[in-house]
Amino acid sequence: MKDAMGIIFASKDEFSMRELASKRTVTALPVAARYRLVDFLLSSMVNSGIKKVGVVMQGSYRSLMDHLGGGKEWNLHTRNNGLYILPPFGGNSADGYTGMLDALKANMDFLRRSTQEYVLMIGGRIVFNTRFYDMIRFHEDSKADVTLMYTRFDPISFDYSGSSHNARVFVNVNESGKVTDMEINPNVINYPNILMDVILVKRTLLMHLVDVASARGFHEMYANILRGGVYDQSLRVMGFEFKGYCRRMETIMNYYSMNMDLLNPAVRRELFGNNPVYTKTRDDAPARHQPGANVKNSLVADGCVLEGEVKNSVLFRGVHVGKGAKIKGCIIMQDCDIGEGVELENAILDKDVTILSGGKLIGLKQYPIVLGKNVTA
Amino acid sequence: MRNKQMIAMLLAGGQGSRLGLLTRVNAKPAVPFGGRYRIIDFPLSNCTNSGIDTVGVLTQYQPLELNSYIGSGASWDLDLSGGGVFVLPPYVQGSEGRWYSGTANAIYQNLGFIEQYDPEYVLILSGDHIYKMDYSRMLASHIQNKADITIAVRPVPWEDAPSFGIMNTREDGRIFEFEEKPAQPKSNLASMGVYIFTFDKLKQYLVADNADPKSKNDFGKNIIPNMLKDDMRLYAYAFEGYWKDVGTIMSLWEAHMDLLKNPPEVDLNDARWPVYAKSPIMPPHFIGENGHVENSMVTEGCEIYGSVKGSVLSAGVVIEEGAVVEDSVIMPLSTVKAGAVVKRSIIAENAVIGAGCRVGADKGGIALVGDDTVLPDGYTVKAGAQVNNETLEEAK
Repeated sequence: MKDAMGIIFASKDEFSMRELASKRTVTALPVAARYRLVDFLLSSMVNSGIKKVGVVMQGSYRSLMDHLGGGKEWNLHTRNNGLYILPPFGGNSADGYTGMLDALKANMDFLRRSTQEYVLMIGGRIVFNTRFYDMIRFHEDSKADVTLMYTRFDPISFDYSGSSHNARVFVNVNESGKVTDMEINPNVINYPNILMDVILVKRTLLMHLVDVASARGFHEMYANILRGGVYDQSLRVMGFEFKGYCRRMETIMNYYSMNMDLLNPAVRRELFGNNPVYTKTRDDAPARHQPGANVKNSLVADGCVLEGEVKNSVLFRGVHVGKGAKIKGCIIMQDCDIGEGVELENAILDKDVTILSGGKLIGLKQYPIVLGKNVTA
Repeated sequence: MRNKQMIAMLLAGGQGSRLGLLTRVNAKPAVPFGGRYRIIDFPLSNCTNSGIDTVGVLTQYQPLELNSYIGSGASWDLDLSGGGVFVLPPYVQGSEGRWYSGTANAIYQNLGFIEQYDPEYVLILSGDHIYKMDYSRMLASHIQNKADITIAVRPVPWEDAPSFGIMNTREDGRIFEFEEKPAQPKSNLASMGVYIFTFDKLKQYLVADNADPKSKNDFGKNIIPNMLKDDMRLYAYAFEGYWKDVGTIMSLWEAHMDLLKNPPEVDLNDARWPVYAKSPIMPPHFIGENGHVENSMVTEGCEIYGSVKGSVLSAGVVIEEGAVVEDSVIMPLSTVKAGAVVKRSIIAENAVIGAGCRVGADKGGIALVGDDTVLPDGYTVKAGAQVNNETLEEAK
């Protein structure tokens, strides 16, 4: 698939993610004990043979840039192609682009200078792991102008209650895979298929669509271009179903349940079994389970030093759990320090949180407590 | 090429026959260590952390694994322009080609490589020790002493001294005598096999050594004694800190047990002196509902459903339900199946310990299961025994 290039759109700041996304785009959210959300997207692209990936930056994107660096970990530090960081440009502020079309318009040069036949675009808030070969074949066989990846909607994987400013797009797909109707943020859900923000289109057609949209003052890819194209049949828009595990990060509950899903071997196999997920390495030593440690049903990254009890939890790199501490149903990000005798239940701790000895924090399974970065409690 | 102050030459050629089946398909420096490392990660990380950016790795035995492990050197930040890490196997020159006949000969045959960098000093290392050492401090002492060669030494217990190369030094550190495995040691300062040479002296002695048909072409047996004889300036540099030769099954196992001490003998989590390794690209490890892990080191890709105590597990190891692993070292991608019991053992890479097997015992020698070995269900490996697929086949 060296004939496709990728574009990842960093997500705008997301208020429904509370503290977790107050200083970082959701695309840089730490997930799955050692990764950032973007790792899954980049790895899926790279594992599909894509050699050129642009990452459109918006929102609080510094942590995303820190993470990506020169793209070495994803084998995107090549002589030609490789990783392109695309910061806000062309009069657009860091607050973000109005819509995907504006982001593409600001980066027309990037598209124009590329040589690949296809562009694969992904919105930076989805966790899945796949290879795109089948989608491209489907796109070619069905002579599509645009192919949209969709999945069966279920309210757990795609939260519909949050206050997200992101469009939820439902589509009707006929037997041949053609998209025949498209509904954006409907009150009543008529179609069971929700789009995953994964779009495949010919590069030249995309540039044309962006030009047309710009001339007409359009901002929204779905509302203005694709839905219009479906209605007046000016575009052949196809739907390609993704049947694997996928979650969109929109609310704390999405985030919490996705991480907890990783305790299920079937989900781990889907996310890690076939296609490797690359990430920035940190050179931590292996985790130490000290005398007195008691860890059950948990995912633990390197660099952890565990002296207490940990159950049904996800521990990122370099977490220290003190003697006699009891941790249950928690997500604990890198370098947190949990003091002796601390009790934690249903909590999400962002990076570098310190819980002093004897502390106790009990959240609800349906509403976990969130502690922001660097908090000492 | 700009000249370099010092480059390193790492002698990784040893077959490591004392490691038995472990080095059947693997050169000794490529043997896994400490869960996420290989032995060679220690000297290579020392080089990077000491500011040395050019390392030649001399190898002639089973180079494939070592070659593919080192790759571009990126894992140690040694993928540099104007430097980096280079694997240097023996090669044919004109009509002549020959194996490295000794440690000194290996360096002699690569004088051309060294001269490319026009270094003032050359650091000679061996690839079978676990230690964290700042070579730049040793170089400072070499320069201060105006030495021709500086030899890193460490004090060993007096009763062990007869099994080492012992340096007898004056008060100022100058070496006046070198004794290989002396019966009656006069000093307990043992050579660590780490040398800094002033390059022109190194070259002079290597060329002379090569011209001597009686020489064994060895640093310890020939070069150093010759330099002493000529009254060159030989100095000892005392290293204090953890240092372990992992050249035998027992010492390799002991070095792992040293990691499990509290605090560990060698701190692998020191951000000021990271030990770099190639990432296995695997997810974090998982402990199942009935899994139990205590006093152990576990790394990425492991899945533990049984009981693990006092052990070090490498990437991708699976311990199935009901299996018991105690005081053992399990190398990458090996599986211990349900109900198997593994004690005081080293399980090499990619092995399968069948269900209900008994490997090793509470006491006695360290049992060893070789690379890729598939132990049939219920098989017993006694304490101190070594098995692999070939010995299993022979036993049939």
